Parts: sequence; C-alpha cells; structure tokens
Amino acid sequence: MTSRTAAGAPRSVVGAHGLQLRLPQRWEARLYLRDEPAEEGESLNPVVHLANFALPPGRGDFGSGAVEVMGPGQAFIALLEYEAAEAGTPLFAARGVPRPRVADFAPNALQRRLPGQLGVQRFFTENGRAFCLYVVLGSREHATGLVGEVCGVLEHLEVGRR
Amino acid sequence: MTVLVLVETVLLAVLTVLVAGLLRAYGTVLRRLHALDPGTRQDSRPFEVLPTPTARPAGEAEFGPAHDVTGETLRGEIVSARVVGVEHNTLLLFLSSGCATCEAFWTDLGKPGAIQLPAGTRLLVVAQGAEDESRADLAAMAPDGVDVILSSRAWRDYEVPGSPHVVYVDGATGQIRGEGTGQSLRQVAELLARGTGEVGFLTGAPARKSARDREQEVSVDRELLAAGILPGDPRLYGSDER
Repeated sequence: MTSRTAAGAPRSVVGAHGLQLRLPQRWEARLYLRDEPAEEGESLNPVVHLANFALPPGRGDFGSGAVEVMGPGQAFIALLEYEAAEAGTPLFAARGVPRPRVADFAPNALQRRLPGQLGVQRFFTENGRAFCLYVVLGSREHATGLVGEVCGVLEHLEVGRR
Repeated sequence: MTVLVLVETVLLAVLTVLVAGLLRAYGTVLRRLHALDPGTRQDSRPFEVLPTPTARPAGEAEFGPAHDVTGETLRGEIVSARVVGVEHNTLLLFLSSGCATCEAFWTDLGKPGAIQLPAGTRLLVVAQGAEDESRADLAAMAPDGVDVILSSRAWRDYEVPGSPHVVYVDGATGQIRGEGTGQSLRQVAELLARGTGEVGFLTGAPARKSARDREQEVSVDRELLAAGILPGDPRLYGSDER
C-alpha cells in the first residue's frame, strides 16, 4: 500500500465573484468571467456551469459543447449574470433563485435542440443582481429524478454582493 | 646500480600509495552515488515500477484512493472537477512547463489522435498552481482543446513525485487503477494498457457492440496484454506461408 493521504473527500465548494455553491455528490462546476461583454459597454459578468457529468473544455456560455456529450440520465445548468442595472426590470422581475418543475421543461426551450433533451430558461433577480438560469435535462424518462437533483444544487447557491 | 634499485623502489612505493588513494576515492564516490540512488529503489511506491499486467482481485486497492481536482484553468475558470464517485474514469496527466520530458507530451497532445482513451474516460492535464508555475509558459505550450487545470493541491493529494506523471482513476470506486511515468504518451499508454487491461489506451474508444461481444473482446485483450502482445504485434497475424 502507499502512504497517500487517506481520504478522497469530495471537493464541493466553489466560490468567486459573489457566488458560492456547495455541490452534491457527482456534480461539478466551472465558474468564469465572460471573455467579452454580452453587449457593448457592459462589464464582464460571471457564468457558472454545473453538471452531473464531466464538463468538457471550450463550452459556450449556454453549454454548447457540453450538452452534445450529455447522456439521458444527466443534467446541465448554466447561470449567467447580466448587468446590475437590469435587476428588477420586467424581464428580471422574478425574485429569488427559481426552482423549476418537471412540467416547465420542454424541447422548444433549448438553445440548441438535440434529440430527447428538454430545457427551461428563467430570468430572475437575487440580492440586487440580474441572472438567467438555463437548465437542460438529458431525457424525459429521467426528468423527475434530474429535476430533483437540479433543485438540490440550486438550494445551495448563495448569491452575495460582488 | 644500488642507487637505481633504490630510486625504483621509492617510485614503486609512491605509485602504490597513489593507486591506493585513487581506488579509495573511487569507492567513496560510488558509495555516495549509491546513497543517492540505490538502483533497486526499495523505498519506492508501487507506481514507480511498471504496472503489473496481472489483474487484481476485485475490491483490492493497489494504489489507494483518488481525489477530486479543484483549481483554475489557464483562462481563469474556477474548476471543481469530479474524479471520485462518478460514472466516468479519469486520466490525470501531471505536466509542467519546465521539464524537458514534458515538452514531448505537450507537443503530442496537440496532434490529432496522439492520445487514445478507453470509452468514457476523461483527460485532465494538471499543472501546479500559478504560485509554482509560469502561467504564460503553460499557455504557450498547452494545445487548444486540452483541459489544463492549475492545482498544486492536486499534486500534493496525489503525491506526484515529478513530471511527467500519469494517474488513472476508476470513477465508480474512487480508486487509482494505475500510475507511472514515461518518455512519451505512447509509452505511458502501453504501460497503462498492460497495468489495467484497458486496451482502449492503445486503440481509443471501442465501437458500439453488443455487451456479449464487448465482454469477449475485453477478455481476449486482457489475455493478450498479459502475454505482452500489443496491437500491431506481428504474432497476431501469423507467418506468411507462400
């Protein structure tokens, strides 16, 4: 046997730019600032990608590059921040991090339509910050369990001040 | 005549002393070199020898537990990559910007098809954190599309003795299945294929086949690997009879 450190305890906390996530088993995360502002003159806002599968490098903000390799029993979450000035405007009128239900998911909500996949997109304001939540499920067959997992992840999302 | 004999005797004595001194110094040098590198490496960990081609009994941990990898990419992305308790296996390739052998690995990683992985295996290249590495040098060396994570913690967790170093982790069990080093990606792939019985390290992801066919092929591959027969070995094709 080796003299390695004893336990491979899960590394499950990711935090930066006023966002903190505690991840459940199997879920991993990547958090970055956009390379370019969404619109001219805007600041560089953070994007979080979460998945219960291995996130590949080189993904688009809405998960292109990742959703193509998803299996039917897997899910992908993208959380994108927009300009603080947008917070509370009609598009971002909803307050608090949404908890999507199975009935909310549909193929026509996908940014990129792929066979079997379902998606949902919600805009909201939390702690004075404007966000878009975009979730993709691998299949309708596994939707109930996956939505439960997604809500479990969102449960542990903390939005503070930047 | 007597004087000549005396002079020769004195010269012989001086030469004897000189040779004895040289031999003693040589012995000291050898002893010190041996202390630095005993050759048999009795204190080494299992990864420092070639992975054994024989299968381990189910459930027996040979290399110990793996760890998730947290760090930062060259783009500044904060990463928490799951390695333990997941469906996929992970090949961790520990490289640095300064080691001469690593250069060949960085170059090979940029060549299409230079690295083959068993189906469902993810490759993570792990360099040390920005405090121990040159981010600019790594950015210049890392090919596009390769997932490079800067994590000194991962180097500590896996007790990486130096670079290049490779670790193959079974995601479902969270155990390390094989590890070692080599001069090239191809050499490392051959060691891993022998050590783990995963011929996918040499041939890439297998095509979709029935479970029965796949099991049979895996079994045959394991036996061939155990016998030291790799893909392309002339013994696989028999002799030409004309």
